[in-house]
Amino acid sequence: MKDIRLERDVQTETNKIEARKVQVYYGTNHALKDVDVDILDKTVTAFIGPSGCGKSTFLRCLNRMNDTVASARVEGMITLEGENIYDPRVDPVQLRAKIGMVFQKPNPFPKSIYDNVAYGPKIHGLTRNKAELDEVVEACLRKAALWNEVKDRLQSPGTGLSGGQQQRLCIARAIATSPEVLLMDEPCSALDPIATAQVEELIDELRSQFSVVIVTHSMQQAARVSQRTAFFHLGYLVEYGETGAIFTNPKDPRTESYITGRIG
Amino acid sequence: MSLGLLFLTVLALAAIGYAVGRRRAMASAGGDMRKLHSLPTFYGWITALGVLVPVLAVSLVWLFAEGFVIHNSAITHIDMAEVTEDSSVNLMMADVTRLAGGLSVLEAAGTDIEAMKLDIEALKTALGDAGVAMGNDPTPGMISAAEAVRTTGKWSRIGLNVASLVLALAGMAWGLRRITPEFRARNATEKVSLGLLIFASLIAVATTVGIVLSLLANTVHFFSIYPGSTFFFSPTWDPKFGGGSTLGILPLVWGTLYVSVISLIVAVPIGLFSAIYLAEYASRRVRGIVKPLIEVLAGIPTIVYGLFALITVGPLLRDWIALPMGFGNSSSTVMTAGLVMGIMIIPFVSSLSDDIINAVPQSLRDGSLGLGATPSETIRQVVIPAALPGIVGAVLLAASRAIGETMIVVLGAGAAAKLSLNPFEAMTTVTVKIVSQLTGDTEFSSPETLVAFALGLTLFTFTLCLNVLALVIVRKYREQYE
Amino acid sequence: MTTVPPTQDAVPAADAPRVAHSLFAPDKRTASRNAQESRFRAYGLVAIVIALLMLVWLLFSIFSAGLPAFRQTFIEIPVQLEAAVLDKAGNGNPVEMASVTTIGYGKLIGRALTAELEAKGIDIGEMTPKDLVGMVSENAAADLRDMVLADPKLLGTTVQFKALAHGRIDGYFKGRVTMETAARDNMTSPEKLMLADKMVAAGLMEMRFNAGFLTMPDASDKRPEAAGLGVAIIGSLYMMVVVLCLALPIGVAASVYLEEFAPKNRWTDLIEVNIANLAAVPSIVYGILGLSFFINFAELPRSAPIVGGLVLTLMTLPRIIIPTRAALKAVPPSIRDAALGVGASKLQTVTHHVLPLAMPGVLTGTIIGLAQALGETAPLLLIGMVAFVRDFPGAPMSGLFDPASALPVQIYNWTQRGDPGFVERASGAIIVLLVFLIVMNTAAIILRRRYERRW
Repeated sequence: MKDIRLERDVQTETNKIEARKVQVYYGTNHALKDVDVDILDKTVTAFIGPSGCGKSTFLRCLNRMNDTVASARVEGMITLEGENIYDPRVDPVQLRAKIGMVFQKPNPFPKSIYDNVAYGPKIHGLTRNKAELDEVVEACLRKAALWNEVKDRLQSPGTGLSGGQQQRLCIARAIATSPEVLLMDEPCSALDPIATAQVEELIDELRSQFSVVIVTHSMQQAARVSQRTAFFHLGYLVEYGETGAIFTNPKDPRTESYITGRIG
Repeated sequence: MSLGLLFLTVLALAAIGYAVGRRRAMASAGGDMRKLHSLPTFYGWITALGVLVPVLAVSLVWLFAEGFVIHNSAITHIDMAEVTEDSSVNLMMADVTRLAGGLSVLEAAGTDIEAMKLDIEALKTALGDAGVAMGNDPTPGMISAAEAVRTTGKWSRIGLNVASLVLALAGMAWGLRRITPEFRARNATEKVSLGLLIFASLIAVATTVGIVLSLLANTVHFFSIYPGSTFFFSPTWDPKFGGGSTLGILPLVWGTLYVSVISLIVAVPIGLFSAIYLAEYASRRVRGIVKPLIEVLAGIPTIVYGLFALITVGPLLRDWIALPMGFGNSSSTVMTAGLVMGIMIIPFVSSLSDDIINAVPQSLRDGSLGLGATPSETIRQVVIPAALPGIVGAVLLAASRAIGETMIVVLGAGAAAKLSLNPFEAMTTVTVKIVSQLTGDTEFSSPETLVAFALGLTLFTFTLCLNVLALVIVRKYREQYE
Repeated sequence: MTTVPPTQDAVPAADAPRVAHSLFAPDKRTASRNAQESRFRAYGLVAIVIALLMLVWLLFSIFSAGLPAFRQTFIEIPVQLEAAVLDKAGNGNPVEMASVTTIGYGKLIGRALTAELEAKGIDIGEMTPKDLVGMVSENAAADLRDMVLADPKLLGTTVQFKALAHGRIDGYFKGRVTMETAARDNMTSPEKLMLADKMVAAGLMEMRFNAGFLTMPDASDKRPEAAGLGVAIIGSLYMMVVVLCLALPIGVAASVYLEEFAPKNRWTDLIEVNIANLAAVPSIVYGILGLSFFINFAELPRSAPIVGGLVLTLMTLPRIIIPTRAALKAVPPSIRDAALGVGASKLQTVTHHVLPLAMPGVLTGTIIGLAQALGETAPLLLIGMVAFVRDFPGAPMSGLFDPASALPVQIYNWTQRGDPGFVERASGAIIVLLVFLIVMNTAAIILRRRYERRW
């Protein structure tokens, strides 16, 4: 297996997403408390922490997927390139074209592979004609490292692929709308080790174009894949910093307990 | 002994058997329950079951066969010459039964039956006074047939009573004899119980067999006296009692399909959109109120819908649409029945579709919403296509219900068998004609009556195919998600 | 820094153009999509509103037509039971008195009315006593006759007689009959209607709650005012008892066998499909089965509650088996394992543990099945229940073999009659039927809420 920590000429300094004092309530349960974090552009940021610490909850705040949960309430500010995404003027529909999401269990639509990828551009009206759409689909499937395997059967159902291929299809689908940020909620937890490796390789390539936020319960994966890591615990963002520093020299004792395996 | 009294007597014997059996078991163990293989109650039960089961089995068979036997014994007395032209053997037998009942009533009132039987006029008057109405005057042949009915009936009942009591006592003796401490009473009781359970399950199977047999036998009989080609291909339905009828199923099938299609046009959009709203948009409180309300529509008996069609919808359609636009002047039309039937099957479409839409995994919706689709786009492009097989199954089931519906069309669509495209005309359906051909005095060997069975078989086969198709589609769909 | 080419094939240049503008500026396309969203949502809401409106329309239509059936116009006058007319032989012999028909009694009513109206000072104009008899129901004379024959001591006395007013008079007060229609009607006349108004003013005639609607038997075509649901209610009651006593035990027994004991093979699969199909078979097919087996073959009496009960049992059986199996299936296997582990036999496990836990679901399913059976009409029509029945069936068990009617059949019967007074009766009968159904369904819902466990 090639080591995928390659040097790339990418701009990593600008803040893509800034979160300030974010609170999330599910009914009366205060699930996320006082989260402050910056997500950098062209960077893979990992959220780690034990089960139930709020990392997935925070992830879903970033593209306002928590809106679909009736009892969820979000306070605080989250901005995308300077614009507060919770502003009443913002339409979540438009927001989600700019922030894509890949879920834990691969969930391709019961449609053909082509239609799965074409779905996003079609509803947002991003292409002018079929030829352009074909190009977009091919480009995304190539970026997702799936093109060679499916180019002869684009019309066959997406659900007929293997687990790893399905997840890569979902990734292709998510990047088809050319989002600024790609959110990934434990994308490899349902995959076998080989598929996991393929997806991790993919993530590293994607970071040249997108800002990626990945939630993972595997510290090793976070260490392999990310440049920045945030450690969540019991609803708090405990520590955030460069991945190397977090894992070799954590500042907070809770972070150290988690990394050494004493908690979680 | 009346049936009720016999039933109670047998029950009492069974109870006695239980008590005696239990006591005998305890006695055989010297009062120590632990020496018995099973709990004492099982020894009681096996005795009681020994009383009940044979008696129930024999009496059931006896009671059902009794009618058959009595009928045969009486029919030999009827002189075929006495059967007049416009009557028939069956009608005569009906009179014979009434005559037999009347004779019993007179006898109980103390009248001299024997004298009556010789004086037909006096008999007629006496019967009239007793409130017995007969179709035709009693003839000597009928009188002897009636006597045969009474005698056979009397002896049959006596036989039933005797047989039941004998069997009950024999059963009790059998049960009691087997009681020893080693006797596995619980196992024996459970075996008998299991047999009873199996018997109960077979009744469901027997129902289907009965339906198929009764339909098939009479249909075969029908096709032996009436040309099948006319039945299947003639566009006229014109039954005439006394022969010369044209019995073509086509106008009836047309009416049935026309009414069903209209009802589906009403029910499917309303039902499907209601289901979508309730499943995807409505809050839990709204759903908790609205869903049961819509299901009330399914719980209302069809006769209520029929009356609604007859007194409200029919005249409304006639006065506001049909008459002003010159489509027709009847209030019993295909449109009336179709509309009202559509209202009735809304909950069939909506409830089933609601369940099916809810079964679509949330991950698919999340995937679509995550891409920035609006909820309506998600529903239209992801959820509904995923749920489509189930929805098709639901529509098929609703269609099957519409096709088999009787009372709404009896009251709402009229009885005129026609092949017409105008929905504001009266047209009739298969079910209406089954009712009209089988009510009243039915003559079971005439084609006019037997055609009802042929119609019934057509209806049964068609709805069976629709139901099985719907079931297969829904099952296959369910496998996809489990 | 060098850029290292990715390991997969070359990335083509074509990309979907980035949605570059601000989140705050609404996209035109998004706006139209949102409009589409609102429209779609509205369709759903409209559909629900239409469905509910239909329900309201139906109930309103039936109730407005049927509620008047519960009030009826009565006339109460003293009637002198003249011995000269009723007991010509003068010796009080009931058999001979029975030879006086209703015409004689009708004459007495006419005389009584004339006398009473005169006493109250109401001008009857040109109307003869015979015309006056037309103010009361044709049943009145028969009722008076029954009253006297039951108690001959009343002969010669004056009794306070409460009679139903004629159907047309009643219709006048309920708005069905007007002066114009009365002029064309051969059963009444405008003079009679005006007289009725005067009688109400004088207190001789009034509208009262009509309990007889629920207790009286059916009446013939010309007498809608005297028609009642007594026989129909008893008939339906008998049939429900038969269905309950047969379908519940057989249904539960069959479900227990199929769910707990039967081996899982092709045959039991077939039985399951069979039962699912039986639940969806049109009810008229059960009527055909009942006709050919119970009536033709077993020669059971037509129009008897026992036959209706047997047919409805066969129809209700699948509708009890399906929810019962679901209730049994819902009991977790851990309970069965626990019982078997203590050494209970399979049958003991089921009867002591599984069945009691499944009981709420079973009972709910049974009540709902019974409610559906109560409203069924088509099968009962085929087994001969459409006949006109005036006598109450006897007590069980032999009463089960007497001819009777049933609520839905009685409703159908009344819709087939010409007199518009019967439309009111049919609607009123539907109200009674719906009340029974509401009670049963509410009981089922309460049972379910109170006792059903969610495992």
